[in-house]
Amino acid sequence: MKKLNSRTTTGVAALSIAVLALSACGPDTSGEEQEAGDGVDWAEVEPAEEIVFWSNHPGGSVDQEEELIAAFTEETGIEVTLENSGATYEETSQGFQTSQGTGATPDVVVLSDATWFPNYLNDSLLAVDEVLEAAEIETDGYVEALYEDYVYEDAHYGVPYARSTPIFYYNADHYEEAGIEAPPETWEEVGEISQQLMEAETANSAFSFPPQEEYPAWWMQNLIWGYGGSWSEEWDFSPVASEQTVEAIEFAQDATDDWASVSSGDPADDFGSGATSQIVQSTGSLGGILDTADFEVGVAFLPGGPESEGETPTGGAGLMISADSEPEEQLAAAMFIGFLTNTENTAMFSEATGYMPVQQDADMSAVYEETPQFEVAVDQLERARSQDNARVFLPGGDLELSQTLQEILTNDVDVAEEMESVQSSLEELYERDLASELE
Amino acid sequence: MSPAVQTELERKRVRAHRRRQSKNWSLFLLFAGPNILLILAFIYYPLFSNMYYSTLDWRLGSSTATQIGLENYVAFFTSDSGLEVWRVTGIFTAGAVLGSMILGLLIALVLNKKIPGKTAARTAVFSPYVLSGVGVAMVWNFIFDPTRGGLSHILGFFGISSPEWYLNEDWSLFMVIIVYVWKNLGYCAVVFLAGLQSIPKDLIEAATIDRAGPIRRFVSVTLPLLTPTVFFLLVTNILFSMTNAFDILRTMTPTGHGTNTIIFEIYLQSFGAYQRAGYSAAIAVVLFFTLFFITAVQLRFVERKVHYS
Repeated sequence: MKKLNSRTTTGVAALSIAVLALSACGPDTSGEEQEAGDGVDWAEVEPAEEIVFWSNHPGGSVDQEEELIAAFTEETGIEVTLENSGATYEETSQGFQTSQGTGATPDVVVLSDATWFPNYLNDSLLAVDEVLEAAEIETDGYVEALYEDYVYEDAHYGVPYARSTPIFYYNADHYEEAGIEAPPETWEEVGEISQQLMEAETANSAFSFPPQEEYPAWWMQNLIWGYGGSWSEEWDFSPVASEQTVEAIEFAQDATDDWASVSSGDPADDFGSGATSQIVQSTGSLGGILDTADFEVGVAFLPGGPESEGETPTGGAGLMISADSEPEEQLAAAMFIGFLTNTENTAMFSEATGYMPVQQDADMSAVYEETPQFEVAVDQLERARSQDNARVFLPGGDLELSQTLQEILTNDVDVAEEMESVQSSLEELYERDLASELE
Repeated sequence: MSPAVQTELERKRVRAHRRRQSKNWSLFLLFAGPNILLILAFIYYPLFSNMYYSTLDWRLGSSTATQIGLENYVAFFTSDSGLEVWRVTGIFTAGAVLGSMILGLLIALVLNKKIPGKTAARTAVFSPYVLSGVGVAMVWNFIFDPTRGGLSHILGFFGISSPEWYLNEDWSLFMVIIVYVWKNLGYCAVVFLAGLQSIPKDLIEAATIDRAGPIRRFVSVTLPLLTPTVFFLLVTNILFSMTNAFDILRTMTPTGHGTNTIIFEIYLQSFGAYQRAGYSAAIAVVLFFTLFFITAVQLRFVERKVHYS
């Protein structure tokens, strides 16, 4: 047998060490099932004395979060370190994902409707049902539609926190100028009222759709649901190209040829400056719009369609507990998220930020008196509906839908063809990135 | 001298040589060791780790992944989205490099004249280059805004409506090229200015005496003597435009609407909506070898044609 010379041996050894070093720090590629830990006996667990909370301070809520943390520490003696996790929900999720396995993972993190699911798939989130019970947190008081957004396979993976829904905003001064007495209740009426606004030349645009960066696939679920369509049903993506969805999107495309436009940036800015008379925008924008607008701001329920009465998609962010934390920290984290979202604190947080009160019994009377528009937004929760899987659970699904919507709304393209194309893209994303993990 | 003594002397010489070598090595490791360790830890380890990750089907943050060999590379080179990335990168690079160099040269020619306020003008031209790309992009966002932006008001004054900079993919790409060129042309202007000032004045004067006009003097004297500068700027600008434009692209077009050059695509695939860390790593490896190849070709073939005075 031919002997290996020392250089070859050294080279092979170095290469082997390098490969081992590289693979040791990367993900596990053995294909073996990760061992699930033994169930925690929460009765035996004492809460930790310190936990870390990552937040992007939704709605500029850093002061409120600090105030709530101080109150929590005073009540329980548990210290909470508040760390800024970025400017957006996406940055927060990026940070949380890249922190996995580094020992720098927070115990509590703010994740949005569209970013919590990839973290669930990565086994980074703790199912909270048992630990909330151990921390004696009542979950019956949460607004059901908001709490149920965090269910997957019979377990909850978070509690609602900075939650919002889209709502219909109109410039009441423009309405008065154009002789319009009441806001629209259906999309057909939106078209008629917009024609009147155009004739009265009240603004550059009677109604504005959002560009792709402003999540058009979120609130436009209201429009397609109104026509009996949807982006998906569970993991079936054929509804996105159904006759009903195509009809709804064609309505929007025709509108952009006639009485509507597509904003270049945040439609709330166009509305606040008076450049457009009507928009559909998050309830979380209400405070900002009221601050900037020098006209009377009107709000109304989202319009209905031929098939349903103005259903509203839920949105915003919840509080999640890291699966990476020790049980002691997880128990303290459960106490903390329960405290942040209890009846009293949700009222305070909603009042300061404009997000929905996530507890049914939150006393919002003071807010309603000062900002009657907010009551309309809260009442609309009766029509809340959880979003379609294609938008919130499929990585890349929202972007594919948003790009397609912008293409349709800004160009004279065939809607049916575009929707069939996006159906193929969604199915490809599902098969490539999710199917094997969910089946 | 007896053989035994000779052997003993030889041994001493060898020992002394080894001691010297050992001392040299110790000194080398003492001074270069920390730097070598840093380079290994922060350049080569991430580089080879990334190559390893490029062979995985791996979602960002997941503790598990699947070995898929070269499938990520095949997908990038054969998919429509991969081809689109090359198209956008090509247009952006060509526009950014040519725009920066041509405008930079024109500005350098003006600054090379005896004009009042030359120092202030040089500072003004160069300052955008040292500004933060994010800050620059945010300011230009205000300028390009079709509803409230400064540019739309100027165009409106002449009865022209503003292009849909943010809604139309082609206009979006043109917009980010404009901003990148504006930020980068100061660098080109300063380097060209240094090149122009190194050209001997007597050659220009001789050409003038020979009745060569300004264009002839520029084409026949100035430009050939500027070729080392042109070559240097060509190499650095191509490399910069492929790697340094991320901040402008991300700030002005967050979801990469028509502006997903290869460096931006790496971010979008991994940290954006798709979360495909393995695929993103493969694109990063492709970018590394693309830059390596461009630099090698330029050094091997283009530099030969450069005229060094």
